Amino acid sequence: MVLCNRNVQACVVWRRYCYVKGLLPPQTSLRSLNMSKDSQMRAAINQKLIEMGERERLKELLRAKLVECGWKDQLKAHCKDVIREKGLEHVTVEDLVTEVTPKGRALVPDSVKKELLQRIRAFLAQHATL
Amino acid sequence: MGPAGCPHVNAFKVDNNWKQNLRLICQCFVWSGSVETRKRKAKSCICHMCGAHLSRLHSCLHCVFFGCFNKKHIHDHAKSKRHNLAIDLLYGGIYCFVCQDYVYDKDMEQIAKEEQRKSWKMQGAGEKYASWEPTKKELELLRHNPKRRRITSNCTIGLRGLINLGNTCFMNCIVQALTHTPLLRDFFLSDRHKCVMQSDSCLVCEMSQLFQEFYSGHRSPHIPFRLLHLVWTHARHLAGYEQQDAHEFLIAALDVLHRHCKDDNGKWENGKANNPNHCNCIIDQIFTGGLQSDVTCQVCHGVSTTIDPFWDISLDLPGSSTPFWPLSPGGDGSALNGETHTAGSTTLTDCLRRFTRPEHLGSSAKIKCSGCHSYQESTKQLTMKKLPIVACFHLKRFEHSAKLRRKITTYVSFPLELDMTPFMASSKESRMNGQYQQTSDLNNDNKYSLFAVVNHQGTLESGHYTTFIRQHKDQWFKCDDAIITKASIKDVLDSEGYLLFYHKQFLEYE
Repeated sequence: MVLCNRNVQACVVWRRYCYVKGLLPPQTSLRSLNMSKDSQMRAAINQKLIEMGERERLKELLRAKLVECGWKDQLKAHCKDVIREKGLEHVTVEDLVTEVTPKGRALVPDSVKKELLQRIRAFLAQHATL
Repeated sequence: MGPAGCPHVNAFKVDNNWKQNLRLICQCFVWSGSVETRKRKAKSCICHMCGAHLSRLHSCLHCVFFGCFNKKHIHDHAKSKRHNLAIDLLYGGIYCFVCQDYVYDKDMEQIAKEEQRKSWKMQGAGEKYASWEPTKKELELLRHNPKRRRITSNCTIGLRGLINLGNTCFMNCIVQALTHTPLLRDFFLSDRHKCVMQSDSCLVCEMSQLFQEFYSGHRSPHIPFRLLHLVWTHARHLAGYEQQDAHEFLIAALDVLHRHCKDDNGKWENGKANNPNHCNCIIDQIFTGGLQSDVTCQVCHGVSTTIDPFWDISLDLPGSSTPFWPLSPGGDGSALNGETHTAGSTTLTDCLRRFTRPEHLGSSAKIKCSGCHSYQESTKQLTMKKLPIVACFHLKRFEHSAKLRRKITTYVSFPLELDMTPFMASSKESRMNGQYQQTSDLNNDNKYSLFAVVNHQGTLESGHYTTFIRQHKDQWFKCDDAIITKASIKDVLDSEGYLLFYHKQFLEYE
């Protein structure tokens, strides 16, 4: 039994290694997924953002802005309320995500949204080969 | 789930390769540092069922599968393949499908943290802020000491009067300013000083004790007799019961603290003592700045530059016997600091502009120019090369020239927020190169906030020192030896000002 398991694991690791080193194609490709033109475009933009490291930079910018405007503190307080409500022993991450996401989305200030949009637009204008 | 994960994680960890596996996933798909891994991440981080990249993508830990969380694709995979664990590609959290929640395993967290740090380093982001997580020892301490003190916006912790032991207000006012320097307070309250001095005459230990007294919550004034004794021991020129100069005390205190602190580093390179210019003690980290002096030869225009460390900036005032250049009102210094110039009144930025103006050294003070190989006339200009975290401005109100000894009481207005950009060496260079001055919004590094003001009332022969200190963002208190009273911002800004303490607004990790 153990021998079998180990072989399976080794197999997985080797397969993953090949995959990671580009020797094995991913199991699916975008085209075979019947994605809409819109989703394909989004995926392509996302890819470019990740490749150029811009996604990380945007994340950092967003993080800083959300701390500055007090959004993080507001949501932290809300999370605490949810935990108190559901009880510390029973609450799951899913509970928090479900309860907190709509409020989190609504509380993002327009100025922050604008700024990030501007940044993304500027980035796309620069790398217009998409 | 405690940091021991869950039984399913433990079952997963039985295999020898699990660490390697996890690291691989983290490096390639969660925190991609290098260009290569980023490219791969960009191409392959999509759901294998629907191609989405934004629905909380998770990677199966048992095989090569990416699936969305929101649309339950990864759940389907987990059920059909009986693969219980997956990792969140956004944040690196481990999800157990049997326990139906994220689980926290100490070893896995460790690996995740390391990979995250590696990727930041690769991208040149350096250290990022992470909230404090107590170590085992700290948890023990917290359990054994259950008393907690809550800091609210109107609590007065940290405020304590100081008894005057006989003309010791010059010492008391500086102590008040130092105990309210945020970085210094944090250093001492987190017990960062490890004393290696054999005798018990370490001033840093005494400061540490002082901070304990100030933040103990006791409301009665503190009697700083030990501090006074140590100061007399280490700075003989300040001993005695005569009135002393608060500025001199500040410099002497910083000097003794710096000397006693150097043992903190524990770094003795090749058995030699720390180079005084490259010390990394807390005093140097907070108070030491670099002053650049450029001497320009008037003949060959060669510039000779030296940079000297400083703990404070002493500014000449109008009305002293050294001429104060009549500066036209406005200009980039005062406009930047939002000052309205009423005719005749001097501002702090005026004094700083005078301090950093090019000064013609005159024919009686020729400098040997290495370019011309002869003595030539030159101009000298001072600018700030490196700003300290806490900038202390000393308004030279006490004139001790051969002709007269007097106090200059000219009112100098100072701002609550100060931008030092116009006085930086880098600004001067860009001005000389004709570059447009960067707007101050982009340059957060040079912005300062006032947090303490030491005032002197009276004459040169006899007077009294008091301090205004900032307790919370807009709450100021006046410390007059043993008496602490609430003060308004107007009181602070209308005061004469002798020593002004400014703190950098934005602190960056190195």
